Amino acid sequence: MSIQKDAYEIIKKIVGETHITDDPADCIGYRSGPGGYENGTGYDRVMTRIPGAIAMPESSEQVQQIVKVCARYGVPYVPYSTGFYGPRSHPHVDNALIIDLKRMRGFEIDAKHYYIVVEPGVIYSQIQQVCMEHGAYVVVGGGGAQTSAVANLLNDGWSPLSYRIGLPQRRILGLEMIMPDGEIVRMGSLADGEDPFWGEGIGPDLRGILRGYTGLLGCLGICTRMAIKTLPFQPVTPKPQGISPDTSLSLPEKRVKWLNFTMPDLDAVQRAHIELGHAEVGGAITKVPLFWRAIAKAEDKEDFWRLWLKETEDSVRNFCIVRVMLIGYTSEEQFDYDYHVLSDIMKELGGIERRTKPSDESWFKNADSAGMWLMTGSYVSVDYIMESYTQAFRQGVSSMELKDRYTPPLMPDFKDLGWFQGCEMGHLGYFEFLMYWDQREDTAGVDQFYVETSKMCIENGYYTSLLGAHQPLMLTGPKYGPGYHEWILKLKKEFDPEWMCHPPMPLAHDEFVKRAPWMKEVCNWNPPEDLPYPDRWKRQTGV
Amino acid sequence: MRIGLHLLEGEIEWSDHLLELIYADPLCGACDVGCKRNLDLEIGLTLEALRVKAVQDKAGPMPGQKKVIENIKKTGNIYASSKPRNGWVTKDINVCEKADTVYYPGCLSSFEKKELARTSAMLLNEAGVDFMLLPSESCCGNVAFSAGDVETARSIAEKNIANMRATGAKTLVVSCAECYRMWKVDYPKLLKIRTSDLGFEVKHIIEAAYDAWKAGSLELDSPVNLQVTYHDSCGVSRLCDDWEPYKGERGWMGTIEPGLKRRRGRQGLYLKTRELLEAIPGLELREMQRTRENALCCAGGRGTALDFPELSSFSAAERLREAESTGAEALVTACPWCVSNFSNVKQDGDPFEINDISQILLRAAGQGGDKE
Repeated sequence: MSIQKDAYEIIKKIVGETHITDDPADCIGYRSGPGGYENGTGYDRVMTRIPGAIAMPESSEQVQQIVKVCARYGVPYVPYSTGFYGPRSHPHVDNALIIDLKRMRGFEIDAKHYYIVVEPGVIYSQIQQVCMEHGAYVVVGGGGAQTSAVANLLNDGWSPLSYRIGLPQRRILGLEMIMPDGEIVRMGSLADGEDPFWGEGIGPDLRGILRGYTGLLGCLGICTRMAIKTLPFQPVTPKPQGISPDTSLSLPEKRVKWLNFTMPDLDAVQRAHIELGHAEVGGAITKVPLFWRAIAKAEDKEDFWRLWLKETEDSVRNFCIVRVMLIGYTSEEQFDYDYHVLSDIMKELGGIERRTKPSDESWFKNADSAGMWLMTGSYVSVDYIMESYTQAFRQGVSSMELKDRYTPPLMPDFKDLGWFQGCEMGHLGYFEFLMYWDQREDTAGVDQFYVETSKMCIENGYYTSLLGAHQPLMLTGPKYGPGYHEWILKLKKEFDPEWMCHPPMPLAHDEFVKRAPWMKEVCNWNPPEDLPYPDRWKRQTGV
Repeated sequence: MRIGLHLLEGEIEWSDHLLELIYADPLCGACDVGCKRNLDLEIGLTLEALRVKAVQDKAGPMPGQKKVIENIKKTGNIYASSKPRNGWVTKDINVCEKADTVYYPGCLSSFEKKELARTSAMLLNEAGVDFMLLPSESCCGNVAFSAGDVETARSIAEKNIANMRATGAKTLVVSCAECYRMWKVDYPKLLKIRTSDLGFEVKHIIEAAYDAWKAGSLELDSPVNLQVTYHDSCGVSRLCDDWEPYKGERGWMGTIEPGLKRRRGRQGLYLKTRELLEAIPGLELREMQRTRENALCCAGGRGTALDFPELSSFSAAERLREAESTGAEALVTACPWCVSNFSNVKQDGDPFEINDISQILLRAAGQGGDKE
């Protein structure tokens, strides 16, 4: 399998002979899995295809030329960088071209005005290192330090540090997009010259559409440049220590510290998040799932299970620890002040401070997800939402109850409520719910549970982040918006009328439900007989 | 991993390009420690297994590797040299007829980088460690093993171990990180035994020097006024954990039964080297960003440069750039292959020094070393 010969030859002239391939071994290297996000799910098996070819452009101009060729010859393509999203960032149709953007490694920093401008080949660990050398920091999103910052911010970008540093979409100061017809569109402050200090620029700004809440997985165009806000950090650069996997950053004790507090109950956990936000202290506030603590303590997968299976529903229910990171951004005195405020609040709420190590194991440089699927090798974040604190915790309870019905095949987690944290200085609560399974078992229940969470959110009036490209659009669209699905399809039609860019996003999950027999029993909404693809697309792919 | 699975399932066939994908890789272990951190995946062993399969299917090894393997089979060294292996020994070096320690310099230091064999031997003399050489010494078989020719490598391992055992010596000291990995890890792997079952201890010159320094028999009190950065050679860092044979099965949630103590590069000689360097008066150690188990490989080892010289040069130049960015005046490493590879890419006239650890330690012990 390959892409059309004529198209291949023209793209070869654009990127050069050594940066395009349709060799079967190369193409297999770019297939989805094994490992990590959605590994071994029905979606992975049913929807992903080995690409027909891979091209590696080195500039926006080359990307522009490639997508023009794809438009002319009808070659579907998928923009690709570091591939965290597993099956969803790989081709879903035969004979597709992967446009791998790793060669685009442009990186500028303006240390004085606290922003960077990067291309998709730049990863977080590089950014964080350079930022820290200049007294600044960024949030390394949950995808991990090895992910492309551009891809991560287009789709996610959350972390406990979002408490202080703001929502991911707000940190996108400017974007350069290559539309499926090859037009370059610059948005935000990049629309107006080369000074991306502010997020706003002249004219209409489409950053919200392209990024949305959780992104559309590249189905509206290819982001080739992004200006990202950084924030001032304290002046001492934390030092790496230890040997993998027991590595951490040694923190300057008078400026940065993690503190753990045992709270009397979940109400006190919630109150702590709210009160600390009101007092505007701290750099991060979070309550993590208990199994993460077992991951942190475990030597390996077997050790994890030895530790985790000692837990019970009671021990998980009673795990009421709030983790707070204090950062003396301006001075040691500010750090002391924050510590005293924190201590007063926790004392009032009955919190007891526990002993902690003067180090950071994950959030500054590594982020969590690189290690958080150790126990099974397969995971998905079923949902992650921004809500009020009370609503976020309520959604945790509903998710836990639903998950219990699908365990097994899901990993036993003793009714863990998920991950909570404060965001935007306590103005928002964040909730994320994760699931794990053994990819060699029957994973029908995993696929079903994933869609059932959407139905649960609709039924209970919860917000959900996983719309559009992540769940069946025809299930979620009519219930959120109103007419969310119609808007998304109109946007797709406007941006990519021929559906060349990562098809069949944003209808991929609808297509999956249609194709997978085991999804029929949970499909109680009314999907249209024919999904609304353009005619040319239907003829070309036979879907 | 993906390619390996498809090969096993017969979905792809051997081709020149597939061989290039599998062999254009220094097998440095960086991906192994990285992926084991997340998923306990055995990436390093998978990559080695792909090469073994390539040879078994008569698709591999690569032409340059084949030539060197033939050289080893014919002459016992990688260069097909007919010169004696101990041509590096000068009058000022005291080599015993019989001793508890055997010094094994390896092919590169025996024939090309003789000054490094000499500095290591002189360091052992300085530390008061009596040593002998292996009678009928021959190549460690690194290229054969790394190319996937396990039959040849196993035969070399058996001969070398028998020779070593026949000396009655308790310790084998090597100064090459590649030889160190072979003797300590890959010989036991080839023979399906534990490292501890070898019957003797394998030490790198770093460990020999460290032990002597700790015991007070080696003094490092002569000033070496130099700002240095240290490059962790793969063979003495992430690749040198002891080998233990394992047989088990995958079970629920991907766990394995019986359990396995995974090799994560924790036994690397990271701290001993740094402790030694920091003990030297006048010497200032400046660390690179990527250090210890995360160090960038120079791609000079495991026969990589034989068939992919551009890859080796690229990687060495990139690492050298990182080293120079620390502001150091010299790079110190612990393998003649790294020394050689870095020296090859260094620009003419660049005053930045490339040193083996034995050269620096010998200077600190009061001798100027021997720069041939």
